[in-house]
Amino acid sequence: MKISNREISSETEKRQRISFGVTLLVVGLLIYLIFGLNTQANALATFGLNLSGSQALKVPDLVVPSLAGVYAMAILAVFAGAYQLARGVRATGWLIGIIAFTFVVAFLLWAVQDKSFSLTGMLSSTVVRATPIVLAALCGVISERSAVINIGIEGIMLMAAQTAVITATVSGNLYVGLFFAIVMGGLVAALHAYLVIRFKVDQTVSSVAINIFGAGATAFISSRFMQRAGDMLNNSGTFPIISIPVLSKIPVLGPVLFENNLIVYLTIVLVIAMHILLYYTPWGLRTRAVGEHPKAADTLGINVYLMRYVNVILGGMIAGLGGAYFTIGSVGRFDEAMTAGKGFIGLAAMIFGNWNPIGAYTSSLIFGFADSLQVKLQILRIPIPSEFLLMAPYIVTMIILTGVVGRAVPPAADGQPYEK
Amino acid sequence: MKKLYFVMAALIVASLVLAACGGGAASGGDAIKVGEVTDLGGIDDKSFNANGWAGAQKAAEELGVEAKYLESTQQSDYAKNIQQFLDEDTNLIVTVGFLLGVDTATAAKANPETHFAIVDYAYPDCFDPAEEGKSCGSTTELPNVLGLTFQIDQAGFLAGYAAAGSTQTGKVATFGGINIPPVNAFMIGYEKGVMYYNEENGTAVEVLGWNTEANDGSFTGNFDSLDDGRSFAESFVQEGADIIMPVAGPVGLGSAAYCQESGACKIIGVDVDWTVSSPEYTDVILTSVLKNINVAVYDAIKAEVDGTFAGGIYVGTLANGGVGLSDVAGASDELKAGLDAVKQGIIDGTIATK
Repeated sequence: MKISNREISSETEKRQRISFGVTLLVVGLLIYLIFGLNTQANALATFGLNLSGSQALKVPDLVVPSLAGVYAMAILAVFAGAYQLARGVRATGWLIGIIAFTFVVAFLLWAVQDKSFSLTGMLSSTVVRATPIVLAALCGVISERSAVINIGIEGIMLMAAQTAVITATVSGNLYVGLFFAIVMGGLVAALHAYLVIRFKVDQTVSSVAINIFGAGATAFISSRFMQRAGDMLNNSGTFPIISIPVLSKIPVLGPVLFENNLIVYLTIVLVIAMHILLYYTPWGLRTRAVGEHPKAADTLGINVYLMRYVNVILGGMIAGLGGAYFTIGSVGRFDEAMTAGKGFIGLAAMIFGNWNPIGAYTSSLIFGFADSLQVKLQILRIPIPSEFLLMAPYIVTMIILTGVVGRAVPPAADGQPYEK
Repeated sequence: MKKLYFVMAALIVASLVLAACGGGAASGGDAIKVGEVTDLGGIDDKSFNANGWAGAQKAAEELGVEAKYLESTQQSDYAKNIQQFLDEDTNLIVTVGFLLGVDTATAAKANPETHFAIVDYAYPDCFDPAEEGKSCGSTTELPNVLGLTFQIDQAGFLAGYAAAGSTQTGKVATFGGINIPPVNAFMIGYEKGVMYYNEENGTAVEVLGWNTEANDGSFTGNFDSLDDGRSFAESFVQEGADIIMPVAGPVGLGSAAYCQESGACKIIGVDVDWTVSSPEYTDVILTSVLKNINVAVYDAIKAEVDGTFAGGIYVGTLANGGVGLSDVAGASDELKAGLDAVKQGIIDGTIATK
């Protein structure tokens, strides 16, 4: 018996339609059972929309009756589920969006009943917290797109963070610190590139060495020199907040997007620039070709080694910027191990973001959102142990992104040295 | 190719050596050897690891002992580092921190001739013999281990009282690194102190970030990320707090940086006097909760040198100066008088701090 392609695809579509529909119904039910039944009848949830000290125009806080809000979310999910079962919508992104939105909003309404918390503050912190993660992820994206694995991002960021604060403190100029952090990142990445491209050292081994060396060297410099010199080496100050005229006056959106420091703005610009570079320029096409099928690229006259060198070093410079965030972009001082695994989370963001810049930024933002939400929830004293809340960013990122991205596909030649 | 692997290996070894290579005043041949194993924050955490080391350094200078330290960068390093000191025939091994409790007991039982002092821990800690050596260290008291414990809730109580007396917004906050007893002890006392101030003065100052009843509060989940400290401080300020006590080692310095930049909050330092350890933040430091680990470690080393070392438990209190509160910046005479009265009450036992 012959089955046409058309029939197969309609079969999978049908299955997908039903599974999404059922999921939505279940989410609606869960919202009712978990949050609806545990919300007090007359409780109000107050979401603060103004940040003290911000330029934005003042707006009244958002006050929502908790129970009604939770029911509205449950109904929305159930309706969407019913519609999906009956009609079927192809836009899976929207469906996952509705699932996430209804659940998160219902959760918040339940958590904030009879209390208040700063919604704008949480969103603003989301963007800031995502910054080092996305910079690490971009470093990974650009290296791995040209088929060089670099899991040494954590080490690069640590070394760059330290370089930034020392040079900025000594010179008294934050831009000097930023410059040297980027140079440092580029240099370490160049070493990695040299080892793995010229000598074909195992890429994982080389980058693990960078991590261990980074942790050791920074700890050594910190305890031997910075601790003793104190203020002389380790007190740089941080980049000031730059308010973008007019735009920063927009309520909520202003403080979230248009009142940040230089590194946050640079990051957003980088994400867009990298997307354009990778997908709309000859250079990007070559990079991707080198990552997918280096032999074919070589045959067409692309210098595989050169492309890899350039990409890995560029990636290192981006990680260097990420390192600078920790010191001169955040707290103005260096302490041992202060990157606290953000480089590795960045790698996860790269994978969940399917090796593309926008995807990496999205997953970093989701992580940043879950992270800042988690901080707020701890303050609100909801009846969930803090240990579980601390896991939330990781769990949420995994659930949402495995759902949206499905199977992430790395560049075909990722991790393989190229021999002519 | 092969050579390159060799180079890589050498590089890794070199960096491990760099990381582990402690400072330490090496002195003559048969001096008493003292080794400190740090917890995850590192020797320069400006907090309890550094403070313990300060005690050892003082002993090295004044008593001529040979003091060394090994840093633990992950929890699996504890046993390794202790073993290394054992291999070097160290006389007294000081392990800094609650998390080293199990490994210290295991090593102490295997090496009854070596003396140990452990900060923030005491034995017996096992109430289920089946778990001995796994989740707890020992079912019995160990004759060669001195537990250095601190009734830090007493000093935390004073800090809470001072915070409640200094807040402008009516909300004060605290957060910790990990939810473990030596961290909570600060926060429990802090909350109690605020409540006591409220009772005494008819105020309604609120504590964010800790609830003794739920035995839970705000935690960063690590003792490393200064960026977390900054973000927590920012969040607390957004929710209306203006005084924050971070009990998370160097993470709190990130909070101090935020307060200095925004001018919206004041910090209560912990373990050591932060106006001394981090003078650059003096203008945002309200006061510091002192846990005089250095004194306790020094005393333990002195006992070792004098040959009077005995196992057991040392308890630092307000009464014996093991814990305390540094001067409160900008305190009114009224608040100062109140603090003195409270301190006396705690020492007399008329005020409960737990």
